[in-house]
Amino acid sequence: MKIFRHLTTTLVLYGAIVAACVFLAVLAAEFTLSVFADIVFSGWMLVTVQIARWFVLWVGVYAIHNVLPIAIAHGRTRREFLGAATGFSVVFALAMALLAWLGFLVEGGVYDLMDWRSHPYGSVLAYFLMFLVWCGVGMLLAAAFGRWGYGAALVLPFGLALAVVPGITMPGTGDLPFIRNAPTLLGDGWHLVSLGAWAVAMVATWAIARDLPVRVRST
Amino acid sequence: MRVDVQGLTVRYGSVTAVDDMSFSLSGNKIYGLLGRNGSGKTSLMSALAGYRRPIGSVQLDGEPVFENAAAMRQVCLVRHAADAADKGDKVAHVLEYGAAWRDTWDNPYALELTELFKIPLKKKVGELSLGQRSALGVVIGLASRSPLTMLDESHLGMDTPTRYAFYDALLSDFMAHPRTIIISTHLIEELASLLEELVIIDSGRLVLQEEADVLRSRGTEITGNAADVDEFTAGLTVLSEKSLGRTKSAMVFGQLDDSGLVRARQLGLELGPIALQDLFVHLTEPVGGKR
Amino acid sequence: MFDDRSPIYRQIADRIKADVLSGTLKADEQVMSTNQYAAYYRINPATAAKAFQQLVDEKVLYKKRGIGMFVSTEARDMLRAQGRETFFGEVVDPMVVEARAIGIPLADVIRRIEQHQNGDV
Repeated sequence: MKIFRHLTTTLVLYGAIVAACVFLAVLAAEFTLSVFADIVFSGWMLVTVQIARWFVLWVGVYAIHNVLPIAIAHGRTRREFLGAATGFSVVFALAMALLAWLGFLVEGGVYDLMDWRSHPYGSVLAYFLMFLVWCGVGMLLAAAFGRWGYGAALVLPFGLALAVVPGITMPGTGDLPFIRNAPTLLGDGWHLVSLGAWAVAMVATWAIARDLPVRVRST
Repeated sequence: MRVDVQGLTVRYGSVTAVDDMSFSLSGNKIYGLLGRNGSGKTSLMSALAGYRRPIGSVQLDGEPVFENAAAMRQVCLVRHAADAADKGDKVAHVLEYGAAWRDTWDNPYALELTELFKIPLKKKVGELSLGQRSALGVVIGLASRSPLTMLDESHLGMDTPTRYAFYDALLSDFMAHPRTIIISTHLIEELASLLEELVIIDSGRLVLQEEADVLRSRGTEITGNAADVDEFTAGLTVLSEKSLGRTKSAMVFGQLDDSGLVRARQLGLELGPIALQDLFVHLTEPVGGKR
Repeated sequence: MFDDRSPIYRQIADRIKADVLSGTLKADEQVMSTNQYAAYYRINPATAAKAFQQLVDEKVLYKKRGIGMFVSTEARDMLRAQGRETFFGEVVDPMVVEARAIGIPLADVIRRIEQHQNGDV
């Protein structure tokens, strides 16, 4: 519980600060751009689907690569940490999805005011699942590289395969356009597939990280 | 806290850092883990702290340590602050980790030590000097009050006054809160008087485990006429010899019995003690000079 | 503080004995606790305890349960007697050997000792 509390309080706060800064930067960019051209798409959508998920993936990497060894150094087990990290990935993805949604809300107001045009964007649920899977994949890759070093490059395609799952139905991602029809057949059922991808990522993370050695740093 | 190591092996790829090592520590003492650079001290301690899954067994009070929450709570290993923190973390934040994650953490004591070692709370770990990072490691190690506390080369980069402050803090806290403390070092001279028992390792293997005072009495330097010294040392474990003209001195390892003392007197040999540091150097010297 | 050669507990025991002999520590006076000794000399408390145990075994010190260690009444006389036993062997004989080695006639040594006796030095 202590680890979970630490991860969520520090990293959700951190994520919120980063999101707020990025949002303001996006708005500034949109106003600047509007001087030269018509605004025909949502800048926030571009950022949330293309950049935010990498940020979330990096947070997943950070949790395993940086915080897990510290937890072990302070007398915690990998098992305890992974339990906390699993819960954290849910809360963090949820928080980031809400922040994305909040951004669309504010941005939508600005767009209405300025009479700019926008595109449809993903639902909060879709964002949540995308962030969830990317956070899980980040943890998986960090665990794999921590355990096997460069040998973990073999895990990369697996991680990539999991990561594209939630993005397929998401407007603006550009992930796998050629199989976009398959998910639409499933409709909202595809969200279950995304959830499954997260579950696979977490199970793999547990399996790998249970034997993760902590390297004693030399300097 | 009792420590039992049985057939422990630690390998990194093709390198064997700890090679089938077995020993037991009865606990509640200050132990010195002595070995040269690369002898396997850190790898051994990492295994004791549950940092890696052991080949062989590592038990604390009879319980395996790896991924055992109850046992892990009782252990703390610090080399310097970098293990228990990120380089980007502020010192104050590092102490918060300890306070948040360790049930046995004594925060007022941690702050007191931080002040004693003059570690600025607002600086980031990466901005500290090596000596300050080492000192922060000592703060984490002592304030954790763990029944098994391991300090790996904790004196690195500390200046002399800081080292003495470290020794004093270590001693007084050990007396106030007796627990098992293992200190690894290859600088024995200064620390020797603090250590009750020594574990000497070399090339990943146990060389000897002995009470420090007993070990001190086990080495003898024998000086005299070369022929007499040779006669006297025949059949004894000679660690090293050196000659100056007709005078020769030999370091002998092992208690001399009374008849030996009498014979030495008859031969007119001078017997003297050997410093722990010298004993250590010769006990870990490769036989045949190959390394 | 201590040489790193002979067992530290023996060095401590010898120091306490020297203090008793010189009168720095008097009969029935309490000596510092093992922990005070350990902190003062920067040594392991078990080492200090071992020194005290040796002194208790030799009847130089006695233990009052829960209070501490005290110098025994007969300690000084006992240590003086022991010192007298070994004095000639350990102090005088080597002095004579040394005097001969550097060529001082024993008569000169005796004269010097007599000067000490008369308070001339």
